[in-house]
Amino acid sequence: MIEITPLQLVLCLIFVLVAATASLVLRLRLERDLVWGSVRTFAQLFLVGYVLQFVFRVNNPFLVLALYVWMIFWAAHTIRGRVQEKTISIFTPTFVSMVISYMTVLIFVTSAIVQVKPWYTPQYFIPLGGMIVGNSMNAIAIALERMFSDLRKQREQIELALCLGATYQEATHALLRDSIKAGMIPSINALMTVGLVSLPGMMTGQILAGLDPTSAVRYQIVIMLMLVASTAIGSTIVVHIVRRSCFTKAHQMVL
Amino acid sequence: MKIELRDVSLSYDGHEPLLRSIALVVESGEFVLIEGPSGSGKSSLLRLLNRLQEPTSGEILLDETPIVSHDVTALRRRIGYVQQTPVMLRGSVAENFQLPFRFSSARDRAAPNSDRLRELMDDFLLQDVQLTDEATRLSVGQKQRVALIRTLLTAPELLLCDEPTSALDAQSREIVQSSLERLNIEDRMSVIQVTHLEVSSKRAHPRRYRLTRGDGLQETGAST
Repeated sequence: MIEITPLQLVLCLIFVLVAATASLVLRLRLERDLVWGSVRTFAQLFLVGYVLQFVFRVNNPFLVLALYVWMIFWAAHTIRGRVQEKTISIFTPTFVSMVISYMTVLIFVTSAIVQVKPWYTPQYFIPLGGMIVGNSMNAIAIALERMFSDLRKQREQIELALCLGATYQEATHALLRDSIKAGMIPSINALMTVGLVSLPGMMTGQILAGLDPTSAVRYQIVIMLMLVASTAIGSTIVVHIVRRSCFTKAHQMVL
Repeated sequence: MKIELRDVSLSYDGHEPLLRSIALVVESGEFVLIEGPSGSGKSSLLRLLNRLQEPTSGEILLDETPIVSHDVTALRRRIGYVQQTPVMLRGSVAENFQLPFRFSSARDRAAPNSDRLRELMDDFLLQDVQLTDEATRLSVGQKQRVALIRTLLTAPELLLCDEPTSALDAQSREIVQSSLERLNIEDRMSVIQVTHLEVSSKRAHPRRYRLTRGDGLQETGAST
């Protein structure tokens, strides 16, 4: 693969300069964000690069797992920021269920499907894990947002069911299903359109790195199915646990 | 079923109490009418009785034992609650009547057949409504009566009625009112009815109360 030298990187800044100039001329007021965003891209990616280099060199399972938990922590934090509902605390249940479901799927993929030896080899574990987190973070945020807004909108219907002797699980059964579905739709759509509309990032990366496209395709299929599975498991668990904290033991709605 | 409120108060987030020191005993088979203006806490009072909400202080007893010691889903079937705004699920009137039988707390009970449903609907002057009609398209007054019947299908021992006749004309109101009173007498179902309207009843309302916001419950006398 052709290496990118520091000089070539600097050359790349021409794009930012062009965009920033356009923003100034057209008074879009985007120039500050563009510059700040570019600076952050440089800083964050280089930092990640060095961290990964270190983790790859040490090659210790605890360090790999710790790094992964750290990534999930930030994903859970991002979800909390994106969900409007602040009366129910969602951070801990989200974080815990993400850790459990992603670890399970990821260890299965590296040890049984890709058959990396050892299973925690960071070169595989971290990028694959990162894709899981990035993908299902959106699904969980969408599912939670949908659940909270439906709980508020359908309060009367839910209380009607409770009054007629329903448990809170029965009263919110359809609502929960709709929430999980709403979160899953982007992943399902991705399964339908992959390869037709765009080439997935990881496959593109492997092709750029010189891998035969048909081998890259096989990897991509594993990834896609892994992403759908982890998204489904993760959002189902999170939504179930968070729903429980929207009701008291006496099946009363607390929102 | 006997229900008793002892010194029950309810306030929201440190605001002035909406309900203050409510004391009330409703014996099995009684008909209690609670009148009060909007915002006086009538609906909240009923919500406490089937545990949709908890009081801020005080105690509610059901057959001499604390209400909190009863299984809540079974309790809500024994104490039927007809919400002030009738809520219809999308679907036919018949599907709405099936609703109480869809939950695990009703596993041992069968939904009534359409003849029985027709009979109940006629009792409540719903001759114009078909079981196949879309429930959400009924008038408010019709929805109120469908909601009332839907709750009665769970055969509650105590019925909590929140403004059950507010959207009806005077004549229909009279008839629904007497149907409720008949159920009270014939089926020994206790009734607590709250309303902001003057309920004219030629029948016996053994007890009437007046609820004022933050000022407790005053008995206004028995009309016989």
